[in-house]
Amino acid sequence: MVKLCEINQTAAFAWSHDALPLIAAGTLAGVMDDTFSSDSFLKIYDPFEKADDKRLLFQTSADAKFHSLAWSKPTDTYSRGLLAAGLENNDIQLYDVGKLLKDNSTASTKLSKHSSPVLQVKFNPLQQHILASSGTKGEIFVWDTNKGSSFTPGRAMSPVGKVSSLSWNNSVSHIFASAGDTGYASIWDLKAKREVLQLTYSGVNLSVVDWHPSQSTRLVTASGSDLDPVILTWDLRNSSTPEKVLKGHRKAILSLDWCHQDPNLLLSSGKDDATMLWNPVEGKKLAEYPSLPNWVHQTTFAPRLPDVFASASLDKKIVVQTLQDTSPPVSSKVGGSNEDDFWNQISSTDTQQPVFQEQQAPAWLSRPVSATFGFGGKIAVVQTVDDKSTVKVVTIPGLETIDSSAKALAD
Amino acid sequence: MVTISNAHDGLIHDAVLDYYGKRLATCSSDKTIKIFQVEGDNYKLIDTLRGHEGPVWQVSWAHPKFGVILASCSYDGKVLIWKEEGDTWSNIAEHSVHQASVNSISWAPSEYGALLLCTSSDGKCSVVEFQADGSQKTIVWQAHAIGVNAGTWAPPQKENISERRIVTGGCDNLVKIWRFDAVQNTYVEEEALAGHTDWVRDVAWSPSLLSKYYIASASQDRTVIIWTKEVGEKKGAWKKQLLRHDKFPDVCWRASWSMSGNVLAISGGDNKVTLWKENLGGEWEEAGEVDQ
Repeated sequence: MVKLCEINQTAAFAWSHDALPLIAAGTLAGVMDDTFSSDSFLKIYDPFEKADDKRLLFQTSADAKFHSLAWSKPTDTYSRGLLAAGLENNDIQLYDVGKLLKDNSTASTKLSKHSSPVLQVKFNPLQQHILASSGTKGEIFVWDTNKGSSFTPGRAMSPVGKVSSLSWNNSVSHIFASAGDTGYASIWDLKAKREVLQLTYSGVNLSVVDWHPSQSTRLVTASGSDLDPVILTWDLRNSSTPEKVLKGHRKAILSLDWCHQDPNLLLSSGKDDATMLWNPVEGKKLAEYPSLPNWVHQTTFAPRLPDVFASASLDKKIVVQTLQDTSPPVSSKVGGSNEDDFWNQISSTDTQQPVFQEQQAPAWLSRPVSATFGFGGKIAVVQTVDDKSTVKVVTIPGLETIDSSAKALAD
Repeated sequence: MVTISNAHDGLIHDAVLDYYGKRLATCSSDKTIKIFQVEGDNYKLIDTLRGHEGPVWQVSWAHPKFGVILASCSYDGKVLIWKEEGDTWSNIAEHSVHQASVNSISWAPSEYGALLLCTSSDGKCSVVEFQADGSQKTIVWQAHAIGVNAGTWAPPQKENISERRIVTGGCDNLVKIWRFDAVQNTYVEEEALAGHTDWVRDVAWSPSLLSKYYIASASQDRTVIIWTKEVGEKKGAWKKQLLRHDKFPDVCWRASWSMSGNVLAISGGDNKVTLWKENLGGEWEEAGEVDQ
């Protein structure tokens, strides 16, 4: 398995929240491809479709190139979710995915308020109709997508520059974080209508921010500077110093995604063309995935299928792959007996494999309870309390006799 | 009742009694398998089996006619076969065709031979046949779009022993029925049953040979569905019925039928194991809880 598919587009992307998710990809702003085309497209792919020519489900041209895409969870109004696009022409476009896919319609709603390109769009995880958007010149808006209305998050502590990263708190709906080129990460409280905290770390430019999947005071930031490409984990209850400093990237970090099903897993990618997997709680690097031929500007878990993630590179590639790979090393796959065999086989074999520092099983596979029947009405039970498991063998009254006759038959 | 605490240095994921109820195998995130002798209220550790390089998710005892044999599967992508001879356990075979975690293993009804079904996070299932001369024959097929969490065998048909079926459950929220096709020498999809709204965590095909097939599927969506079908009907559809009308309080991790097939045990993420029976009206009723 490992690599599920490759999408040949330089694009900003977003996963849908389906059991088998789709990927929306919009032509990335700020980069020219080899044709110097200024055309922009929104495309929706099924990455689980095996046939290359059937993978593209929908395509439409857009008014401008994309800086970011966000895909809401399904709601009563939008059965397949709402897609929000932050565009280079200062607009936000909203697409009803159900209509796109069903009627092939290209109808969209435009939200115009930014006075500069819209760099980031993010749906609130607790209230799907609330969208935050950010741009250059410190512009941040919070939208009610049902009404099309917007407001600003309030007073900043100091002048804000370009805001290229936004993240909503996953448990407190009126808190979000932003980061960009000012050096620090900002925490905003929409109830207090102001910026309530700033995080700084010895001159490092904190340009990417993402919240812990469930603990409201924890978040992670990354440095967009080639000089000090570190990932920092924070607990806001002690916001003066980071908890963990994760070193491993060789150049600026461009993207972070903290896994929602397992807080012990974090993805990162950057200008060193690398995608890495970390345990941010213990501060350990777990794996490095095969590098792509250019900057990896975005890496994201499939929200409901975190065994799978996608990484997008400036080299016309979005790679969809699995977290784990237990296939044997390439050397044993192509160990042909003579020289010709070796070259024949190696040319047709995918020689790039992830390098695992440590095999860490994800939380979603770790079953904490079990009960299985044996003969004679006996049942073996596993129960787990506070990460300690106990095993019991219990006889279910009344089952003993029925079972022994069943056993006599089976013998 | 036997209670074993602190058996492993990590979470325990499975505990299974052997055919005679005398041996208990447990497996854990500490990468080991332990074999206990259980008798009345007493237990004794017989051996600790080491060989896996990741958490061990499941263990399964082979039918005694093949010897004292245990299979285990792990996050390391491997299935190991262990055998007891005298008082010593040793690893006698390895099955490593999967490219990701092997999440479940299940021995086929012994009438078919020593056949083991394995399901993996790589979306594939494999059936490996251990032959008397020590060789292995393996069939691998793509079963779900991704992540096969569980699989078990249908009970053998007395009249038609060659008709073999398997049920699997996956991260695509589907329950699938597979039939062995001797001509193609693989398992072909007979049915894809939709009903769950989140991952299917376990599937269990009732071992009883009644007029109906019974399959229980337990899911992350906090429901259990009972799928039934008349045995004789070739074209008949699978009927679905929720085991309980409202949701369980937590994730339903495991479903297990009693050997006579008339009691179903459901293990929930809230540590509760509930027992269920079908009444004469065809409704499912809770028949108690395994004491804490």
